[in-house]
Amino acid sequence: MAVITIQGLTKRFGDIVAVDDLSFEVDQGTVVGFLGPNGAGKTTTLRMLLGLVTPTAGSARIDGKPYRELADPVRHVGAVLEASSFHPGRSARNHLRVVATAAGLPLARADEVLAQAGLAEAAHRRVGGFSLGMRQRLGLATALLGDPQVLILDEPANGLDPEGVHWLRGLLRQLADQGRTVLVSSHVLAEVAQTVDQVVIIARGRLVTQSTLAALTARTDQLVRVRTPQAEALRSLLAAQGIQTELDGNDQLLAAGTTSEVVGKAAAAAGIVIYEMGAERSNLEDVFLQLTSHQGVHA
Amino acid sequence: MIRLIRAEFTKLATTRLIYGLGAAMAAFAVLTVAANILDRQGAPPLSADHFPMLVGGPVTLLSGAALLLGILGMTTEFRHQTVTQTFLVTPDRGRVVAAKLVAYPLAGIALSLAILAFTAALATGWLAAEEITPSLLDARLGRVLLGAVLAAGLCGLVGVGVAALVRNQVAALVGVAVWVLLVEGLLMSLLHTPSLGKWLPSAAAAALTNPGGAQLSRLAGALLLAGYALALALAGTRLVVRRDIT
Repeated sequence: MAVITIQGLTKRFGDIVAVDDLSFEVDQGTVVGFLGPNGAGKTTTLRMLLGLVTPTAGSARIDGKPYRELADPVRHVGAVLEASSFHPGRSARNHLRVVATAAGLPLARADEVLAQAGLAEAAHRRVGGFSLGMRQRLGLATALLGDPQVLILDEPANGLDPEGVHWLRGLLRQLADQGRTVLVSSHVLAEVAQTVDQVVIIARGRLVTQSTLAALTARTDQLVRVRTPQAEALRSLLAAQGIQTELDGNDQLLAAGTTSEVVGKAAAAAGIVIYEMGAERSNLEDVFLQLTSHQGVHA
Repeated sequence: MIRLIRAEFTKLATTRLIYGLGAAMAAFAVLTVAANILDRQGAPPLSADHFPMLVGGPVTLLSGAALLLGILGMTTEFRHQTVTQTFLVTPDRGRVVAAKLVAYPLAGIALSLAILAFTAALATGWLAAEEITPSLLDARLGRVLLGAVLAAGLCGLVGVGVAALVRNQVAALVGVAVWVLLVEGLLMSLLHTPSLGKWLPSAAAAALTNPGGAQLSRLAGALLLAGYALALALAGTRLVVRRDIT
């Protein structure tokens, strides 16, 4: 069942289209990575989902309702947006107590989530003296305050040191194991690759792909690089066989999801000259870069 | 709604602003009492009659402090982007502004009453040293306190309203200062008729803090200031509800 439903979501700031007719769904109990390069429209999408920014068109719903219409939003949805939204003169514990008071939650929750976020030692320190990583932890603590079933995290790994990233992965896994739904954005696929079940990839405000991580990984293994003076001809030949290719310069072609044998036979049958050919193994990050820059070429 | 107002009080109590403002006002109260007692050239000798005047010394500045509390109560959220968290907890933004419209005027009133109590204790002590016993039952003392409560409450309301409209902390503070110190004076001299000048916000506030010297009655001043506060608050709320929080 879809917990988060984004439908035809569009946001224009003046002439700039930040989010362009975006649609995707997040199912209950899944951890979904929301990926795209910086400026792709991730933050704007999440802010529309959280009722902070009004969409130009389309809708963003949580359990069938716009965020602003949720009866008890803090118990329903926990969110981490940018790391700077704390009063620098207020202590971490007092920040959480302010939120707990406004949300009608017991004040004891403040100490519980501080411990959960590994901030118990820093509870009484002013947030102004916190490192970026500590602020991220405090943001996560705030999101967990209402023990919500849905978590929306915007770049939670930003500013975390390796130990912090490790901790974040553990936390996300733990939240997922408890059956919670998590939508976590990042501009670095590797940050979330170990944790997410699915990815939604956007670039320039548009959906590039939504798939399981397994399907995305499957796109990585077989990649054949061919150097040929007839790159265009080979490209249409392979396309006729349903093989995805991409030109790299004038005389190089990358064929995905196939083998050197298949490409070699096809080229020989059509009399296409080949200078060089070799199988390559791309990693997940290459696929991500390829997908998002591909979008750039056609936009 | 009650919990939102309590959350605003928690916000106020957990940063240094209110304590610094309280200390500054207390220091100012000491100065006004000292100045009013020591600087008495040609005035009638000090007597119990002077007690309400001594207590009322800091009232005008206290209404300014209430205005400041109102402005900062709203603009601090935008300055430190805490407004994002605030609106995540309470997506109904109108209720957030409403809670601030209640909380900060109340805080301004509480601050005023605390400082006036301190001023009264100070004045009582000083007069006692001169072997004068003031009466706390003086009707004029009641009028000073009533005026102070009304002025602080309404100025706090104006502050929240202005801040909701302007959002930027520096712009709101500078804007209000320029308005009070410069624009109103210019308008007064351009209008040439004090009969129009008395309808300006500062004049309305003066009718509460300094009833003797003002041209409006206390009631008219209170109603006029409340009108300004309400108009600003309504316009500010409309903007805050509609604007994107990016």
